This record gives sequence, C-alpha cells and structure tokens, in this order.
Amino acid sequence: MTTDSRTVAQGATNTRLAAGFFALFLGAFFVWGAGFAHSAALHDTAHDVRHAFGFPCH
Amino acid sequence: MIIRYLLAALVAGLVAGVLVTPIQYLKVIPLIAHAEAYENGGHGIEPHDHHQAGLVSSAHAHGPDALGKGRVILAHAPAAGGGEDAGDASLFQSRALGTLTANVVTGGGFALMLAAVALLAGRSITTRNGALWGLAGFAAVALAPALGLPPELPAMPAADLSARQAWWIMTVGLTAVGLYCLILRREVPLRALGVALLVVPHLFAAPHPAQLASPIPPTLAAEFAVASLATGAAFWVLLGLGVGFAMDRFGTSEA
Repeated sequence: MTTDSRTVAQGATNTRLAAGFFALFLGAFFVWGAGFAHSAALHDTAHDVRHAFGFPCH
Repeated sequence: MIIRYLLAALVAGLVAGVLVTPIQYLKVIPLIAHAEAYENGGHGIEPHDHHQAGLVSSAHAHGPDALGKGRVILAHAPAAGGGEDAGDASLFQSRALGTLTANVVTGGGFALMLAAVALLAGRSITTRNGALWGLAGFAAVALAPALGLPPELPAMPAADLSARQAWWIMTVGLTAVGLYCLILRREVPLRALGVALLVVPHLFAAPHPAQLASPIPPTLAAEFAVASLATGAAFWVLLGLGVGFAMDRFGTSEA
C-alpha cells in the first residue's frame, strides 16, 4: 500500500501535462471563436478585433 | 493547484483584453472605420467597381461585386445602408461592446495558451520575465504571420479565407515550437531545429489574391499594418506581465 515516490512524481507530471493540454485546447477554442469561426454572428461581433489582431478575415 | 494556476492566467487574460480595447481605439479601429468608408463607397468616396461604377449607382454597384467575393461583402452589406450596425448579425447592439467582448475572449484564450505552454515546458511565468513571455507570444502570433499576411483592412483583396487561416495557424504553430527550441532548450541540434522552424513557414508562400488592385489607399494600409503590430505588441506585453503577476500573486507555478 506504499506509494513509491517515482509513481507520485509520474502522477504529478501526468497531471501537469494533462492540465497543460487542456488549457492549450481551451485557450485555442476561445481564440478560434473570437478570431477564426466562420459564423456570421461571431464574425460581425469580433470583426474589428479580427482586423486589429491581424487574423485572416473576410 | 493547477486549476488555481489556470484561473489566475485566465483572469490576467481577461484584464489584458479589457486594457487593449482603448489602445485599439487610439489607432487601429479609427483606421478600420476609415477603410470601411472606402469599402462602402460612402462619405463621398466612389467605390472602385471597375466595370459597373459608371453604369449603376454606387449602392447597386456592390451587388454583383458582393456575389463575386462571397461571404466577405455579405457580412458588410448591411453597413452600406448607413448605420454602423443596422441589421448586421453581431451579438451586440453596440459595436464597441462586441469589440470589448471579442478582446476579452481573445485575451483569455491567449493567456490560457501562454500559461499552458509554460506548464508543458515546465517553466514559470513571473512578473520579472512576463514581458519576455509576452514578446515571444507577439513574435509567434503577430509578427511571424504578418510577414506573409500583413494585417489587412476591410475591402483589401485577399485570397481564400480558409487557405489564409491554414497558413496563419501553421506559421504560428511552427514559430511557437521554433521559439521554444531556440530559447528554452540548450541542446545545439534543437536550437538549430528552432531556427529552421522559424524560417520554414516563409518558404511556403502565404496565399495571396491574383488581383491586387484595391480601393484602399496604400498609405492607409501601411499605416494600419504598423498600427496593428504596435497594438499587438502592447497587448502581448500586457498579457505576459499580467499572467506573470497573476502567477506570482495567485497561482503557484509548481504544478
């Protein structure tokens, strides 16, 4: 029932990587919605921001 | 702990999004509004519809053109009616509110991605190095893609949207990995790979339209490209500093 330290470290690394990828995809999802989605509502709302940031637009 | 870390980054990003909004209103957004006057042929400016302009009124001249350019002009067609937002599909009545919201969402998204990169790379973002993280983000997300696809104003001719988006994403991704290899790794082969990754996207030409003629005066476009990059640099430095500050204060960088 003892947990050896290597397993703990491995678990911590896995959590870190999982959280990192989760945050990366969540962030990308936000940026996609504001900057890239082809939806007319999103395009019109974010229009000036898309141009200001130099995202491909139109 | 990791949730706290990510929440801290998210909040910093939202704040950076709020802060960049007035900065955009200094220069880039007035330039966009100026360009739209050319796009719509409004304010006494004739639209450059090369064949139809002489035959029909400028209000109608956009019809065939709109078909030619697909969704591009359609999205802007209501604006041609006069009112800024009359009948457009925006989620908000106020254009400024839409801009603020989009900035907040973009800021939150980029902050999460910046924090994620630090987490994956096993590095910490602090108030001290935050501006440098921000500048690296600027280099990857604004400067590198701008080399192939300079920030463009409405009504400027552009190639297929999806093709440009694909090139943009490829360039940002390769530049980000390249910067990681170059800056955060010590191994010589990885650093060489980093340099190669910075160069590679620019060997594939960015998609450009066949016809470059534009109703937008070149000076306006040049002014906008520079203003957009400068605003982007300010945004990224604010974002990096904000995330660094939030990490120092609220998030533990030890995962």
